[in-house]
Amino acid sequence: MKIAGTQTLPLSRECAYRAMQNPDVLVQCMPGCESLEATGAQEYAMKMKMALAAISGQFQGKVKIADAAPPERFKLIVEGTGKIGFMKGEGALELTEAGEASTQVTYEGDVQVGGTIAAVGQRLIDTTAKMMIRKFFDKLVEVTAGMR
Amino acid sequence: MATTAAPPATGKLVGKRLRRKEDPRLITGTATYVDDIKLPGMHHACIVRSPYAAARIKSIDAKAALETPGVVAVYTGADTKEVGPVPCGASLPGLRVPHHYILATDRVYFVGHPVAVVVAGDKYVARDAADSIEVDYDVLPAAADPEKALTPGAPAVHPEWPDNTAFTYHQEGGDIAQAFAEADVIVKQRITSQRLIPTPMETRGVVADWKPGDKALTLYSSTQIPHLLRSLVAGMLGLAENKTRVVTPEVGGGFGCKLNVYAEEALMSFVSMKLGKPVKWIESRRENYVATIHGRGHVDYLEIAAKKDGTILGLKLKLIQDLGAYHQLLTPVIPTLSVLMMPGLYRFRNVTADIVGVFTNCVPTDAYRGAGRPEATHAIERMVDMLAAELKLDPADIRLKNFIQPEEFPFATATGLTYDSGQYDLPLRKALEIGGYAALRAEQQTARVAGKLMGIGIATYGEICAFGPSPATPAGGWESATVKVDPDGKVTVLTGSCHHGQGEETTFAQIAADELGIGLDDVVVFRGDTAIVQYGIGTFGSRGTAVGGPALYYALQNLKKKLKRYGESALGSDDVRYEAGQCICNKTGKTASLAQLAGASYRALKLPPDEEPGMQTTFFWEPPNFTFPFGAHLVVTEIDRDTGRIEIKRYVAVDDCGKIINPLIVDGQVHGGVAQGLGQALYEQVVYDDNGQLLSGELTDYAIPKATMMPWVESHHTETPSPVNPLGVKGVGEAGTIGCSPAVVNSVVDALSSLGVRHLDMPLTPEKIWNVIQQGARA
Amino acid sequence: MIPHSFDYAAATSFADALEQVAAGAKPLSGGMSLIPMMKLRLAAPERVVDLGRIQGLNYIHQDQAGIHVGALATHFEVETSALLRAGCPLLSETAGWIGDVQIRNRGTIGGSVAHADPSADYPAALVALDARIVVASKRGGERTVGANDFFVDALTTAAEPDELVKEIIVPVETMGTSYQKLLQPASGFAIVGVAARIGQDGHGRLGVTGLGARPILITDATDLAALNTTEANSDIHAASAYRREMAKVYARRAIAAARARA
Repeated sequence: MKIAGTQTLPLSRECAYRAMQNPDVLVQCMPGCESLEATGAQEYAMKMKMALAAISGQFQGKVKIADAAPPERFKLIVEGTGKIGFMKGEGALELTEAGEASTQVTYEGDVQVGGTIAAVGQRLIDTTAKMMIRKFFDKLVEVTAGMR
Repeated sequence: MATTAAPPATGKLVGKRLRRKEDPRLITGTATYVDDIKLPGMHHACIVRSPYAAARIKSIDAKAALETPGVVAVYTGADTKEVGPVPCGASLPGLRVPHHYILATDRVYFVGHPVAVVVAGDKYVARDAADSIEVDYDVLPAAADPEKALTPGAPAVHPEWPDNTAFTYHQEGGDIAQAFAEADVIVKQRITSQRLIPTPMETRGVVADWKPGDKALTLYSSTQIPHLLRSLVAGMLGLAENKTRVVTPEVGGGFGCKLNVYAEEALMSFVSMKLGKPVKWIESRRENYVATIHGRGHVDYLEIAAKKDGTILGLKLKLIQDLGAYHQLLTPVIPTLSVLMMPGLYRFRNVTADIVGVFTNCVPTDAYRGAGRPEATHAIERMVDMLAAELKLDPADIRLKNFIQPEEFPFATATGLTYDSGQYDLPLRKALEIGGYAALRAEQQTARVAGKLMGIGIATYGEICAFGPSPATPAGGWESATVKVDPDGKVTVLTGSCHHGQGEETTFAQIAADELGIGLDDVVVFRGDTAIVQYGIGTFGSRGTAVGGPALYYALQNLKKKLKRYGESALGSDDVRYEAGQCICNKTGKTASLAQLAGASYRALKLPPDEEPGMQTTFFWEPPNFTFPFGAHLVVTEIDRDTGRIEIKRYVAVDDCGKIINPLIVDGQVHGGVAQGLGQALYEQVVYDDNGQLLSGELTDYAIPKATMMPWVESHHTETPSPVNPLGVKGVGEAGTIGCSPAVVNSVVDALSSLGVRHLDMPLTPEKIWNVIQQGARA
Repeated sequence: MIPHSFDYAAATSFADALEQVAAGAKPLSGGMSLIPMMKLRLAAPERVVDLGRIQGLNYIHQDQAGIHVGALATHFEVETSALLRAGCPLLSETAGWIGDVQIRNRGTIGGSVAHADPSADYPAALVALDARIVVASKRGGERTVGANDFFVDALTTAAEPDELVKEIIVPVETMGTSYQKLLQPASGFAIVGVAARIGQDGHGRLGVTGLGARPILITDATDLAALNTTEANSDIHAASAYRREMAKVYARRAIAAARARA
């Protein structure tokens, strides 16, 4: 599944970039993320509890930041496996200055979903993926409010 | 209470529109299916399946499962290596057959591949424990699309065969080069017949019951082939066949997907033998979609050559068959049936066909209602329509022009068949007449002027049914019947075919009752228990009545001879006849009833010379040829220009299945067949993503047609008896499916032809049609 | 299809249900969404409180505030209620499009609304009707939320985890109405569904389901620009572009049908 979109953050580009590389920020912003433990340079073991209405499931996996070109672009790779299925997402994020203390984030990527959620949840996967991205950025704005 | 017993309906039951004897128990929920079987001490199994299409199994940790209270065992591929393999009944030259273990050993090859089995005292514990098994996979790239799997560098499904090619198969007849050289016109098209999921209402289910004291296995399974299953499972387990009994209770739909031998049948037997307890496994719908065979899965490249006047000269086919990861019982055979069917009802004798059987990391494909013949008919009938469009000929006329004519029978086809008989124009002319073809074309003109998209589609088909002569069938093509008269004169038929919705419980009773001159209710038809029924082949390929029926007919003739000999003895005359349920002395008029004759045969006081006691005959009948039903379907559609939705305004089916024993059942078969054909034409589609994940993995996303989505099917018949068997029957189980999809697609393409559309692949979803209309509007 | 094990209790009254939900139990109404998710093990609630045996919560009655539909009214009851057919035919018509007759006999309006499936039928009608949804909790008692505020996101409503939908209040209709739906043939869910309330002058409101994560409210039926959303849903049954176009087609049809009834 292809995902793409843009989001404006009320932060300077440097600040926005730093925030999105910060595991303490990521752990708060990634929906359901319970912990990120560093396992290498810009690589983290992730625990996540997905909860959407009655649907719930534990996921374990990793988050990796690659091809970092601060403060312009980086690649975010998220992998998770759980009893209800597994997902692997890879997104290229590009940050452009959009005025003072405003940054436009353009993202483009591919999400692969498997297991039960892929087999029986077709109707909701696209909607859910979009919702999770929306939540990520909403939370990012909230969490970084003090950094402005 | 005074009752007036209706006189027994004797004689002339054949041909009557009778309600089915089996329906009351089916529609009141009192029938016994596998899941209704409960045995003392029975355990329950749950299977752990791969969520990945291709992966190496690094480790399996079943510790938590084994520690779960109530769990008695967990088995993995390491435990079951000696069982099997899951059999493939095909023997094509050079066929690559991967060893199909009943549980995955070091690798998994498709989503749904069984990896481990958990056995517990109850099914809930088993299911929970299955979730606690940790399988560590090393995920590998998968090949999910058959054409992509053939490209160099594609992931290898089986590492030992990097080209993913299981077999190639070539067949030709006539002189194809000359046919194409002489042609005025050649039409080419790629046509797909998408993967489908058979979706019987009852999923598969198995109860295995090993009796350690007897060293004997009873296997209850929802199958179409109890005897073949017994032979093959006994072989997989190293058991003698006389220590292996297969019982087939009520089967809630098969459609070909239960014409198979599955890993679970041997696996449950293995488990029961290990534990000495009966074990039950019932497939969930989720499992059914990833563990039971799929159907179709064709990509066909076709070329048809013709003269300007529409005379078809020849047909070329390159057929890419998506086999899935393994060969199930008949997987590689199915596309070869498509090739046999290529000439259709037409006179041309120049054919060449090449099949490439491709492994993919998907569920194996195998027989699904029609099994190779719907795919072929769809392709041919699309090609004929495209040819007609190219030559600006009427699609009915081009067919009438090319049909084999009655005087040309027996007709040897370019693919090696001998069509025995037929008058192929009859159903088409009848369909055109019932549909009001000329008026429909006029209406279409008016509709077009008004901006409406109305289509008229015709498909004619020829079928190969009644599988079949034994040389053409992997496990024998005959069928058997036993007729027993009990001392009270009541009759039991034991048939080796294994009907599961086709109505033979009624049609066979009609045949027996007519032959013996007794009532329908005096006959019980029994099937599906290898300990009771003599060996049989089973029910598939529209063979139940067409092969099982004649076996019964001949058994009845022998029984009547026997009755007559007992009659001679009872009546003290050598001039007797058997008629209307009794023997009658032609001289004295004295009679002996069926009950008296049967009773005398068991009491055995006055045996006829050289006659055994008892009243029972058995006949194994080998058919001399296939049967060749044919028919014509006519479909009128209207398309909503704004949404792409297709409405079927008329559906006329004229099927010639030979002599009709019960018109109600035949119409039911046609309706059901058309429903599944419509499913393919309009709704159903198996969607695998590039990683081999099945995205249409449940009924919420896989659209089978529902009653409210069905048009009224105007089912009509012509009745040309088959010369192959004494009943004149041909088979009708698959006809509706075969005739349907090309008629529907031809109709929709006809509706859209004004927009420049010449072909559309199935399913014809509103979105697909809408996109086509948008493109047409832009062009 | 066996769910994880869970504790089950049948609520004896609505107050009892609120108490159990406050204690963390997952409410079960008709079970048309929750039970399949549990059987597929996508949902694994530890405790389930069954609302199905609460007496009297399937009422449909009218007062000066409008027509009150109890949360446990089944889709079939909503579809066939004489009161609704006369007073709020849009809700009845919409209910008649849900699933199949078995689903309509089991599923409840409260359960459907609380579940907030992005392809469910009711949300389209409820936002078009400007319906009010009464939710209740042990903690805070009752409060009323407007339908357009109630549906927040996919499967997400304004109700707190300890709140239950108690009733839906719909206005007594003064306009012509129609619900038009393109259904997904496997599940019967809406690819798009449009509920229209239109006056004789052609003006009115629309509610659209299936297109986005939540129902889209259009307050001026003469302006369908909101349907050009870039966030249109997409799945194996219909891509975004088709959904957007169908939303417009079905909107026009719903408007025309509603106006004809005005």
